[in-house]
Amino acid sequence: MIIPYKYILKKTAAFVAVLYGAITLNFILPRLIPGDPAETVYSTIIREGGGSVSPRYLHQLAAEYGISNAPMYVQYYNYLVDLAHGNLGISVAFFPEPVSYILYHALPWTLLLVISSIAISFFVGNRMGRYAGIHRNSIKDLSMDMFAMFMASFPAFVLAFIVLDIFALDIKLFPIGGAYSIYVNPGFNIPFIISVIYHAVLPVLTIILTSLGGWELGMRNNIIPNINSDFISYSENLGFKKYQVNQIAYRNAILPNLTGFAMSVGLSVSGVIIEESIFSYPGVGLYMITAIDDLDYPLIQGIFLMVIIAVLVGNFIVDILYGFFDPRIRQESE
Amino acid sequence: MKMEEQEVIKDNKSLLGKIINPLKILLSNGKAKAGFIMLVALILFAILGQFFSPYNPTKYEFARGMPPSYAHLLGTTIYGQDVFSQLFYGAAPTLMVGFAVGVLGTLISIAVGISAGFASERVNTVITGIINIFLIIPGVLLIMLFGSFFLGLHQSLGYLPTILILIITGWAFGARTFRSITLSIAKRDFILSSILIGESRLSIIFRQIIRAIFPVIISNFFFTAMYGTMGLTFVEYLGVGNLLQVNWGTMLYWAINNEAYLTGMWWWILPPSFMISILMFSFILLNFGMDEIGNPSLRRFKSKNKNENKKIIGDLDVNIEN
Repeated sequence: MIIPYKYILKKTAAFVAVLYGAITLNFILPRLIPGDPAETVYSTIIREGGGSVSPRYLHQLAAEYGISNAPMYVQYYNYLVDLAHGNLGISVAFFPEPVSYILYHALPWTLLLVISSIAISFFVGNRMGRYAGIHRNSIKDLSMDMFAMFMASFPAFVLAFIVLDIFALDIKLFPIGGAYSIYVNPGFNIPFIISVIYHAVLPVLTIILTSLGGWELGMRNNIIPNINSDFISYSENLGFKKYQVNQIAYRNAILPNLTGFAMSVGLSVSGVIIEESIFSYPGVGLYMITAIDDLDYPLIQGIFLMVIIAVLVGNFIVDILYGFFDPRIRQESE
Repeated sequence: MKMEEQEVIKDNKSLLGKIINPLKILLSNGKAKAGFIMLVALILFAILGQFFSPYNPTKYEFARGMPPSYAHLLGTTIYGQDVFSQLFYGAAPTLMVGFAVGVLGTLISIAVGISAGFASERVNTVITGIINIFLIIPGVLLIMLFGSFFLGLHQSLGYLPTILILIITGWAFGARTFRSITLSIAKRDFILSSILIGESRLSIIFRQIIRAIFPVIISNFFFTAMYGTMGLTFVEYLGVGNLLQVNWGTMLYWAINNEAYLTGMWWWILPPSFMISILMFSFILLNFGMDEIGNPSLRRFKSKNKNENKKIIGDLDVNIEN
């Protein structure tokens, strides 16, 4: 096997550059937002307790939340140093828990949902697109396309509520929320794993239903030009069986969909964040909703950063694998 | 044949012809036609809704949570508003946001994409990096962040913050498309000859490239408008929009927040969902149809003869390149 060194090097450089950009963006964005966490807490105290708060207390609060009036470049330097040490500040909504602690418990659940839903919908969607493309302009094709388009056009969160209502409340086939049953021991044992899968079915199903359409339509439109191309006629004339010919066309057509992965990871994470709050799944999305409601900027910032890093790393891995799959990509970069 | 050609050329020159000819191409495609009819119907629905909504959509004046009846076609909300009036009146803002995001987002992505595709290698790399950052960041996170930034300003600015948020989160995909398509077109002979003749870059961009990629622009407009419509519902669902305005997104927000799906008030939650679905569906159909117009190999031909098909495809390719 040839290892595409140059390609990997190029991708790594791009990865580092984008990561640095995202980290910097994460530094700038909260500073554009008027108000700071100390002010939020302060106004809550005023609202709930009445009276006024002494300036000394306000300063103490500000210090606790790590707000400084230092020049921007000093703040930026401190931010990078803190980040390198894994210090993401202290949450306002879940005071006094550090943001990194919350993320440590929430991120694995989100990753579980994202990875399983992307994998399943990529596989099923491509297969459906292949089927539709091979039988193109037939009633099979039309019904598949219509299904895909309808699923892509229905508001995802309404679909989630309908699914929740039918499967969890009416038929009581699946649990209403949570990531695992309270009767099992978290750890690497079979009842726990079964319980986790059982609780993940509904959220994953909803995300798959809404993201299937893009893959299906993309695959259909990719495979049709391939089926009409000369190398397919050639292999037909060589006497390949129908499914073998289709397999060749499919392999060629799947490449653009693989590059579409970068887009889809971001989209799936968006979907997962919404679904988690609906299915009360203890992932990042559930905390994000709370954080937005309470204007908990350290937590928002931490979630933002962690999700972006996760998405970037995922993309990076796909990119590297892609270099191994497709020789044309390797040649382009050399 | 010649007469027809002359007619087409004559048509092209008049203003009416400029509008009608692309429409004719659009309507020659079955999917695009279906989408176009749906979209026109929705636009009519939205315009009529501004004038003929049966009751005041915001007033709490009826019995609460009534199922559909003759007086209230889609029943009333838990607050005692008429659902049909809300649906009718809320169509225009929803469509407006979708179209505004579609037009402005596409303009930004054209500007960024074409300049990246036409610029030097180094500028291209930098712009591509920026596009990638925006592509990779999950849109919902940006909507939440910018949304909470604008939260206090909604009263005075109407739909402006929402549109702005959706443009910021939605332009990158189109920019990537335009960048790669410009890169491939810039290598073609007719661009090279324009450069050699001494045509200025701006003139090449506006007179040659924009024309060559026009189907992609239209298709991208529908895609971005789709994002805008869906994005509006997300902005409202997440509560970072202005919840006092009436549109299909806020209708869903209030229906969900009052657990309409639990109490069986389907007449509150399903109509806006289906209207959004129809709007999205028409955009998808138009987008799909434009794809087929721009990419002839996807087109459906009546003739079963393969060779004849190839000839037609060849002719069309030439037409598009010219």
